[in-house]
Amino acid sequence: MSRSTWRGIIGTLLVLAAWEGAARGFQLPAYTLPAVSDILAAAWRTRAALIPAGWLTMLEALSGYAVGSLLGIGFAVLMAVVTPLRGPLLPVLMAINSVPVAAYSPLVLLWFGIGVASKVVMVALAVGFTVFLSALAGFDRVDRRSVDLMRSFGAGRAAILWRLRLPAALPLIATGMRVSTVRSLIVAIVTEMLGAYGGLGWIIYQAVVQIDFVQVWSAILVASCISLAFFGLVGAIERRVIFWR
Amino acid sequence: MKAVLRLVLGLLIAAAVWQGAVLAFGIRPHILPRLEMIWGAVLQAPHAYWQGFLRTLIETLIGFAMGAFIGVLNGVVFFRLPALRDMLLPIFVVSQTIPVIAFGALVVLWFGNTLMAKAIIAFYLTFFPVTVNTLLGLNSVDPRQVDLLRSFGAKGPQILFRLQLPMALPQIFVALRLAASLSLVGAIVGEWFGDTTGLGVMLLQAMYNENVVALWAAIFCCAILGTGFYALVAWVERRLVFWGAEQ
Repeated sequence: MSRSTWRGIIGTLLVLAAWEGAARGFQLPAYTLPAVSDILAAAWRTRAALIPAGWLTMLEALSGYAVGSLLGIGFAVLMAVVTPLRGPLLPVLMAINSVPVAAYSPLVLLWFGIGVASKVVMVALAVGFTVFLSALAGFDRVDRRSVDLMRSFGAGRAAILWRLRLPAALPLIATGMRVSTVRSLIVAIVTEMLGAYGGLGWIIYQAVVQIDFVQVWSAILVASCISLAFFGLVGAIERRVIFWR
Repeated sequence: MKAVLRLVLGLLIAAAVWQGAVLAFGIRPHILPRLEMIWGAVLQAPHAYWQGFLRTLIETLIGFAMGAFIGVLNGVVFFRLPALRDMLLPIFVVSQTIPVIAFGALVVLWFGNTLMAKAIIAFYLTFFPVTVNTLLGLNSVDPRQVDLLRSFGAKGPQILFRLQLPMALPQIFVALRLAASLSLVGAIVGEWFGDTTGLGVMLLQAMYNENVVALWAAIFCCAILGTGFYALVAWVERRLVFWGAEQ
């Protein structure tokens, strides 16, 4: 392993040790900072509740992520192919995007109820705009002369899109999708906290109400593990697909 | 000027689509109220909206300022001490996977239900992208230019302030624009933990009362605040980074 990896491991261990030491040494109450070992123990003890909740949140995030990515890329392709649509459609999308995503949560909950649908919609909204903006930037990045060259060889719009614009846009699309992984989980949890029947956000909300902060931390632990795994997975796929980078 | 015109035109188109859809398809006010209903709701209690707007604005600004300052500072420290960077950056990355809102409950507990607690949440969301981009910008400085300055007898701090930080500014501003949006999200979400004023509170109250008109009014206030702040940061960027890497 490289030196920076080792330093990363050592740094993580040092921080964890300092955390554990501070919590134990100063006898910090659980609502200030519970010890790492206590959090791990609580996570293991309440695994019967955490695993299904993590599973539900993960499914919501993944479905929303898939829908959002498809819509984001789809709209970007549409605007790259049918350029006249850009004039009227882009301002409307930009107006929707000018509102911070979190501000839509209450509205989406009213519209789609407090079941799974509202979480999927929120995640799709957050992921969709990130992917859309990066995909659009990617499609526009193509050199004008390359397009002219392909056209002079008789390539149609579809061929230019498939052979030139898409490969050029892929790195940017992938970056957008990689950044969106962590966001998708956070948005799902945020929406769950405002109202849900289950999921990590719901557990966190209940734990906050019951002032059980060890439980909050253990749910955070599960959420972080899921987002790191998701982030790592998408990153690995990205390195496979975009081998030329 | 052209950008402003385009923005106004875009807003007009968006408003026309909205109003046209509501009138043409007979959409119920529960889903999309007519625009004048929303405007009416604001006019009924302009003071409350203004108070909420100001409160959230202050939280956003404090959080943004702290995030920008600490972020740049972190970036410089990590740049000067690579060993520290290798040790701490992975933990920073992991910390960003923590859902803000869960963290928010803890912050409110630590700092009390104060304006500061919301600003801290906004700070938490903003400092990381600024740190990473400062580091990126500093690392991209041409080493030959550093050598040149050093050969003229420039000291470390001089090189930092005269060469490295200015060269990193375009990168830093990319993060600052992102941070402008993120700090507002942090302030709004932070208010969801039992505050009494602010746009986030108005959003929640409207949701509990199932008052879609008030909900949209609050959403519009958030949009104005967000767009205005973003535009301000972008304006400062054009002024400061006049040699502009990307516009």
